[in-house]
Amino acid sequence: MPDRPDPVDLLRSMLLIRKFEEALAFQPDRGFQLLSSGEEAVAVGVCAALDDRDQLLSSGRSIGPALARGIEPHLVMAELLGKISGPNRGKGGRGHLASPDDGFFGAHAVVGGNLSIAAGVSLAAQLEGRGAVVACIFGDGACGAGALHETLNIAALWKLPLIFVCDNNGFSISTPVARGVAAERLSDLAIPFGIPRRTVDGMDVFAVYEAAREFADVARRGDGPGFLECRSERFASHSTSTRETRSNEELAAARERCPILHLGARLEADGTLDAAGRSALEKDVEELVSRAIRFSGEAPRPSPDDALSDVV
Amino acid sequence: MSSRRLFFNEAIARALAEEMEREDKLVVLGQDVGAYGGAYKEFAGLYERFGAQRVRDTPVAEAATIGIALGAAAAGLRTLVSITYMDFLILGLEPLVNYAAKARYKTGGAVRVPAVVKTTAGAKGQGVAHAQCIESWLMGVPGLKVVAPSNPADAYGLLKTSLREEGPVVFVDHKRLFSTAGEVPETNEVSMPLGKAAIVRPGTDVTLAAHSYAVRIAVEAAERLEPAGVSCEVIDLRTLAPLDVESIGESVARTRALVTLEEGQPACGVGSEVAFRVRERLDVGIRVARVAARPAPVSSNAVLEAEVLPDAARVVETTLTLLEGR
Repeated sequence: MPDRPDPVDLLRSMLLIRKFEEALAFQPDRGFQLLSSGEEAVAVGVCAALDDRDQLLSSGRSIGPALARGIEPHLVMAELLGKISGPNRGKGGRGHLASPDDGFFGAHAVVGGNLSIAAGVSLAAQLEGRGAVVACIFGDGACGAGALHETLNIAALWKLPLIFVCDNNGFSISTPVARGVAAERLSDLAIPFGIPRRTVDGMDVFAVYEAAREFADVARRGDGPGFLECRSERFASHSTSTRETRSNEELAAARERCPILHLGARLEADGTLDAAGRSALEKDVEELVSRAIRFSGEAPRPSPDDALSDVV
Repeated sequence: MSSRRLFFNEAIARALAEEMEREDKLVVLGQDVGAYGGAYKEFAGLYERFGAQRVRDTPVAEAATIGIALGAAAAGLRTLVSITYMDFLILGLEPLVNYAAKARYKTGGAVRVPAVVKTTAGAKGQGVAHAQCIESWLMGVPGLKVVAPSNPADAYGLLKTSLREEGPVVFVDHKRLFSTAGEVPETNEVSMPLGKAAIVRPGTDVTLAAHSYAVRIAVEAAERLEPAGVSCEVIDLRTLAPLDVESIGESVARTRALVTLEEGQPACGVGSEVAFRVRERLDVGIRVARVAARPAPVSSNAVLEAEVLPDAARVVETTLTLLEGR
């Protein structure tokens, strides 16, 4: 792993998620999807701190995490649109995408449901002893769930190589975090377990990366878990079929914090990426997305017989 | 084949010790499974032999413990997680039902969860939340296998097979079985497939189908019915999912009468599933009756417990009523 990731790569990764989701939203047969737009920096920053040995797990909001971890966009698109060319033969679809060979152990669309599974994956990694770490991204909603507190306790007792990444986008569907979790700072939930914690700006990909890297280094050394809260913004409603509860003003304020906008401006200002470079980058990403749409459009759906395969 | 007389709990410990010896990746987790050796000493000796890394005491956190065992199995280990009483399995159904049972399916075969959830069912004076037999809840979950042995040899054989399965298995034992003894074959081979019922007592007039501790009640009822001129064939289901409908059906095709017996509740119970599946399979008329717990919680109060639990007398009465006028 390079000591510090190339900022242009991080920008590219975030742009890919954004443009991928914009294209997905235009697909007439997209069905119900949980979008990561606005929260790209969380997934991308965390993944920049992981290496090939490691595994990432996520909540159902998994498009950003899956793409950031490096699963080919055309495979992700095929899976989300229910095509057999997806890594899960179209059976996982949104919310349950998994590709362990790519270091994405999987999404699980039960709030808090992937936390203990991730701890189990990290136990396997610990016993294997190759220094692999596991990161699990979950929402602020999971902070009210017993699954988190039970898992924090065992992870601390056993010094599991596990990074708890709370992507705090501020809402559980319609419920603001202040009405869902009594703790003001969600990372404080780690305090009673003696787990090191950080709360960072989840719209700043470097802030996320640096904190995640610190926890990954700790976990790799065998010194146990960390809790990283990333304060982010969800740009769309909970899902493509959920009503938006925020006002236009609130949404506009959220979008002002766009992680892509900010990193792009910073790279332009410091001369890392000029207008021509940015334009080439966008074109690259758009081509990847076009290819994903073409590939998934041509890919077949499962046959009805597949409904009964791989059950037991 | 030579055999040794073992108690049920010893049969479990022996199966586990042999499988842990054979498979380095097999890890046991649960409350009091370590130096304490398990609530019923069914893990006795494992901690001393395999150490704290592979025989792990866990906090009182069934949901996370089951999830961790399942996640670890999905990531390349093999795990057995002990849930002391089946009532507490309810706390961990989320990872079991929503994750493990569906992992293979939802990943299109990319992830398998070779884990055994071992838990103890049955009433023995410990009250309403330490007594339940809820194995029928699990029979309708695609992706789960459910095993419920009635004797030491089956506990040994079925646990060994379960520990070599590629998907999640719920292994249900029973508080009243641990102190029962029986001959257990001396072999390190796995020869007892899941999904095979056993005829434990042949007969011609009625088929009594039961699992776990209730098999002993069925045998007792059969012995009491014999002098009354009723020949009972007792079938031990052994595995509830997959259910060996073929063997049960063959028996009922001969006897034309089926009495199901279980310690759990009758509504949506093991018996109702067995009866329906047998009825679907046979094109001859059959008589069917079921015996189960009465529809009430099982108190620790001995009078109330005895009233709710099924016993041989109720099986005898139900069977005689079923066969009236035959």
